[in-house]
Amino acid sequence: MTSQIKVLRIDRRFHGGIHPPENKAQSNHQAPRTLPLAKEFIMPLRQHIGQPCSPLVKVGDKVSRGQCIASSDIEPKAKIHAPVNGTIQSIEPAFCGHPSGEPELAIKIHCDTPDEIDNSLLPSDATNLTAQIIDRVDPVQALQSIEEAGIVGLGGATFPTHIKLSARGIDTLIINAMECEPFITCDDVLMRHYAKQIWLGALIAAKILGAKNVILATEDNKPEAIDAMQRAAETLSSPLELKIIVAPTRYPSGGEKQTIELVTGKQVPKGKLPASLGIVVQNVGTLFAVYEAVIEHKPLTRRLVTLTGDKVNQPGNYWLPFGTPIKHLLGLHLFNGDITQFVVGGPLMGTRYTNTDLPVQKNTNCLIFASRASQSHPWVIESKPHQACIRCGECENVCPVNLLPQNLYWYARHDQWQQLDEYNLMDCIECGACAYVCPSEIPLVHYFRYGKSNLRLQARKKAKSDRAKARFEAKEARLAREKAERALKHQKAAEARRKAAQDAAQDPDGKKAAIQAALERVKAKKSNTTDHQSEDLS
Amino acid sequence: VSALQSSPYFHQALPTSKVMLWVILAMMPGLAVQFYYFGWGVIFNLLLSGATAIACEVLVQHLRERPLFDPIKDNSALVSGIILGAALPPLLPFWMVILGSAFAILFGKAVYGGLGNNPFNPAMIGYVLLLISFPVEMTAWLPSRAVEMNQPDFWQSLQILLTGSTREGLTVLDFRQLADGFTQATPLDHFKTARSLGYMVNEIQAESNYLANIQAPMMVNLAYLLGGLILLARGIIRWHIPVAFLAGMVLTAGLINSFDEARFISPWLHLALGATMLGAFFIATDPVSAATTPKGRLIYGVMIGALVVIIRNFGGYPDAVAFAVLLLNIAAPTIDYYCKPVVYGEKSHDR
Repeated sequence: MTSQIKVLRIDRRFHGGIHPPENKAQSNHQAPRTLPLAKEFIMPLRQHIGQPCSPLVKVGDKVSRGQCIASSDIEPKAKIHAPVNGTIQSIEPAFCGHPSGEPELAIKIHCDTPDEIDNSLLPSDATNLTAQIIDRVDPVQALQSIEEAGIVGLGGATFPTHIKLSARGIDTLIINAMECEPFITCDDVLMRHYAKQIWLGALIAAKILGAKNVILATEDNKPEAIDAMQRAAETLSSPLELKIIVAPTRYPSGGEKQTIELVTGKQVPKGKLPASLGIVVQNVGTLFAVYEAVIEHKPLTRRLVTLTGDKVNQPGNYWLPFGTPIKHLLGLHLFNGDITQFVVGGPLMGTRYTNTDLPVQKNTNCLIFASRASQSHPWVIESKPHQACIRCGECENVCPVNLLPQNLYWYARHDQWQQLDEYNLMDCIECGACAYVCPSEIPLVHYFRYGKSNLRLQARKKAKSDRAKARFEAKEARLAREKAERALKHQKAAEARRKAAQDAAQDPDGKKAAIQAALERVKAKKSNTTDHQSEDLS
Repeated sequence: VSALQSSPYFHQALPTSKVMLWVILAMMPGLAVQFYYFGWGVIFNLLLSGATAIACEVLVQHLRERPLFDPIKDNSALVSGIILGAALPPLLPFWMVILGSAFAILFGKAVYGGLGNNPFNPAMIGYVLLLISFPVEMTAWLPSRAVEMNQPDFWQSLQILLTGSTREGLTVLDFRQLADGFTQATPLDHFKTARSLGYMVNEIQAESNYLANIQAPMMVNLAYLLGGLILLARGIIRWHIPVAFLAGMVLTAGLINSFDEARFISPWLHLALGATMLGAFFIATDPVSAATTPKGRLIYGVMIGALVVIIRNFGGYPDAVAFAVLLLNIAAPTIDYYCKPVVYGEKSHDR
């Protein structure tokens, strides 16, 4: 049974955006490959947004591929699995990619079969699958499998997928296949070769969420991938209507909020999640992992990584197990010339490293080994002081969030936190479009990261002082109350004494006074008990 | 980039120095037409003013014990110098040109911390200093070639510039005297004086040399308009300020003109005379001192256009671009404060 799939080309826009040289053609036409395994794998204990996992193994343990080796009790969490068969060599801090170079706790695994080409890294064939297999999927169990598989957002955010898929009131699942950043092609290639698995993963996610609409959103620079996704959808016999929306190529259309704006024309309200619009967005790579976890019961132990740049002899996409150190790749004769630095991620939002101990992780979508700057490779190579900001406003023109980077720069430079907050710095998505177009070559995002971390610090400090203030005020109120109560008690006692003295003067025998005193005592007792009651009530 | 600098690592933009260079290039048609109509004095002004601006920038670097030639590489001082040079009347005494240009850079820019920190347009600071201090010299424009063929040649111009008169004893005043003995004023000046004497616009327009008199300013404005369009096409400036400036001018002048057609010139004449196009495309668009939000730029431009017309029609000076720009420079931060764009997701949030 075949059905027609709608491919909708839209020309809707978000504010701003840029179109840098794409540099995708180098790496997007080769089929995904594998590489010989490394000798030693380094598994950082934090590969998701949240607190690090705790190891479940000890040094000397034998582990097999897919075995869970670290987990956590605190959400958001994502389990970590052994990427290969091997022996736990050490559990100690190692360089895991923190920009400061600070080491983080990692499990090192000695691989049993180094240098072997492991073809089981390649995904299994899905040609004959149809949406019928989804009928057998139980949503609760599926969500459990996703959590067990340690799946996180593979587009780069690394937010645990099982939490995102637990959202309620969702009617639309958007598959984010924009992949707008230059050089990166892993999503493009994944769609070209594993289209069916992606759709099935999406249908599983839609079933878990109870979503009725499944929309793949991509850019018009991936015609082959669109074609593959369309053909796969037509042979799938999907119970839900599948849609493909193609937007013009414009960075950063892959930002979650920008994708939603392009697809729906709506903006996610400030300070809220897409779920407030009934939308969940998942990256294609994540949905592929969902398919493997739920249908093939495979935990997340490897991903498709783009290896590109003019220093790579055979640019392309490779299935790399997590934990593979970059220096292992350097030993494989894949490169020409010396590698002194590389970029993980894209040229606009990635991170530049010089330390090749860095391992491949869940968020490693692309490794760029580039040497020179040219028209199509406009790399910022040398260090030089930037020129003065002339407030030309080019940055404001390209900001997808509609901020005023020219003002934010001014305030960040002068530590004006209140203004930074007022000018919505925290809404900055750090896409780098502003710095890309800045005629004075000001590293604007660098200033903004500085400003943001200070704003976060301010917020933490404020929360702390607010708590202290509330505590102090409560104490002051209690002391004042107690003082007033004491004063009242003394006043009453004084009045009673005065009255007794008056009565004694009028009634020398003391008979009347004795009766009166007895009455007073009873009264006082009564009023005391009511006092107690009212205190209890307060 | 040091190992510590964070992303982005891609950068592609016309550098600030080239942006400034484009501004100068786009002024060339206007400057050429000015040279054609007003002679060598125009070139002398540009050279003197430009050189002084650069010298002052280097001097400031020396005083601040910074690398001497770093800031002149951004060409911004040269732009200020050239804009000032283009705005000054030809054959102004050389020391006035130097004074204006030096004041522009030293007190219009350097005292605030250099490029990017100055609240005012430096060239206009220099211009207004001269205009207030030397009003006679600053409003004494030579008659254009279209009115008077007898123009000082290169050597005569140089002599007047340096000594105040040619070797034959002719001063600027002599050259301003037409063959019929009248002293020629610029059209805007002429309109203003005539209006104060009770003449009507149509009477002035009926004068025999009227068309010849407005030819030079019209052609100069046309040439600067062309240059401005080049800047727009190259993306060096954005449309907001010039369009708002011209719209503000036409609307205000149209309003005033509709009340008293006999005494006030038409909006179209306002566009063609004085420093309108130079102001709209080259002066008001100085990004450092202008409003920087999209909505703010529109308000900023409209207000400058309106102020120029109001001062031209009712003020004491024949033209008013410099005053209008400086006044709005002060207002720009406040305008921007109230014109913050709505950030992503805020609209649906407020509801």
